[in-house]
Amino acid sequence: MLQAHSLLWNYLWVAPNALLLVLAVLLWRRGLSRKFPAFLAFAVLSATGQLAVFAADIAPSVTPENFWRIDWVSLLVESFLKFVVIGEIFSRVLNPYPSVGRLGKIFVSGLGGALVLLAVLAAAYSRGDSTVHLISGAHLLEQTAFIIEAGLVVFLFLFAGYFRLTWDRLSLGVLLGLGISACEHLATWGIMANAALSIHQRTLLDFLNMATYHLCVLVWLYYLLVPKKVAASAPAPLPENNLDVWNRELERLVHPRALQP
Amino acid sequence: MTLAIILVIAAALALIFILGVTLSRSLQVSAGTALAAQIQPIDVEAFRNLVDPAEDDYLRRRLPASEFRRVRQKRLRASAAYVRIAGRNAAILIRMGQTALTANDPETSEAARRLVDNALLLRRNAAFALLRIYVALAWPNSGLAAAPVLHGYERLNGSAMLLGRLQNPTAPVRISAAL
Repeated sequence: MLQAHSLLWNYLWVAPNALLLVLAVLLWRRGLSRKFPAFLAFAVLSATGQLAVFAADIAPSVTPENFWRIDWVSLLVESFLKFVVIGEIFSRVLNPYPSVGRLGKIFVSGLGGALVLLAVLAAAYSRGDSTVHLISGAHLLEQTAFIIEAGLVVFLFLFAGYFRLTWDRLSLGVLLGLGISACEHLATWGIMANAALSIHQRTLLDFLNMATYHLCVLVWLYYLLVPKKVAASAPAPLPENNLDVWNRELERLVHPRALQP
Repeated sequence: MTLAIILVIAAALALIFILGVTLSRSLQVSAGTALAAQIQPIDVEAFRNLVDPAEDDYLRRRLPASEFRRVRQKRLRASAAYVRIAGRNAAILIRMGQTALTANDPETSEAARRLVDNALLLRRNAAFALLRIYVALAWPNSGLAAAPVLHGYERLNGSAMLLGRLQNPTAPVRISAAL
């Protein structure tokens, strides 16, 4: 069952991408395409690209070289779109909060540069897993892209968590899915690109990658389809009636500069 | 292989962190009495005294160098404790303000927006001020700039009180200790 090109293999390759196309249609029909244009583009183009790679994999007329070329193109487009999606979510989270928005953008620019440097260094020190540059290069590109992606996603969670920023449900779902996918893929591509694995071990890691991606698509569907539970909450009764005392004391305390906007 | 191990460990830690944050967000209880009760009042005057550069200058002139370093370290640690509490209070007020953002009353939602903005600013300043305090602890002769935290905190007091008044005129928010 856990063999390349088994039924499960084919299912795990095709199903998440078919579901991603369904997700794109649902986003469009619910009018969310304007709110999440990058995610919509990612859903359509990434799924189409992966299905094209699958078709190239099973079509006997496609040579191995051409298969890897198609894989490269799909990988480049998908990686680029993922970064655009992360940027889109970042803007959606930060835009309502101008007081920390600028700081966040400065941090993310700096961190992005540092992650690119780190990923390039990691690629330079990787031993490569194939003598064919087209193959080892694709694996290193995966490793590089996932180092940057995982770093950015973790930073966004850290930043929003520290400042207690609230997110809309779909933004959280999209980023959670990207985060799970990035972390798992980073680990597996890190192993694949740096350790000498047998074909069977490699196939098992492929299964893990595909199953995780399937899970992530289901996470995105869940956050899109299942509405948030709204707890009925009464206005918070605020403690102690010492406002007037404090008003008086603070007026005495406040430095004139503090009163300036 | 070493690189592979490093990447696997980093990825595992990142995944645990992401899942932890998501889980904690979904388990978060909506803002209410419990949140307001978590606010720890701060004695603004004592804090103001601790971060006053004139006080530092005075102590530097009056005390022997070794004694001054000891006293300054104590004052810095006390300042750090105040700043940490200010940051925590700001985090609580951000959550309280965010729940009030959706209020039907435009005046209340505007006050909530201002409160959230000020609280975010304070949380940012608190993080930077803590960093400065730790640097000052490591290098006792460096300058300390915790004043923005103090000013932010005072502004936050005003925002919290305004929101408290608008939401419930008889039960205000108290984020500073009585003098």
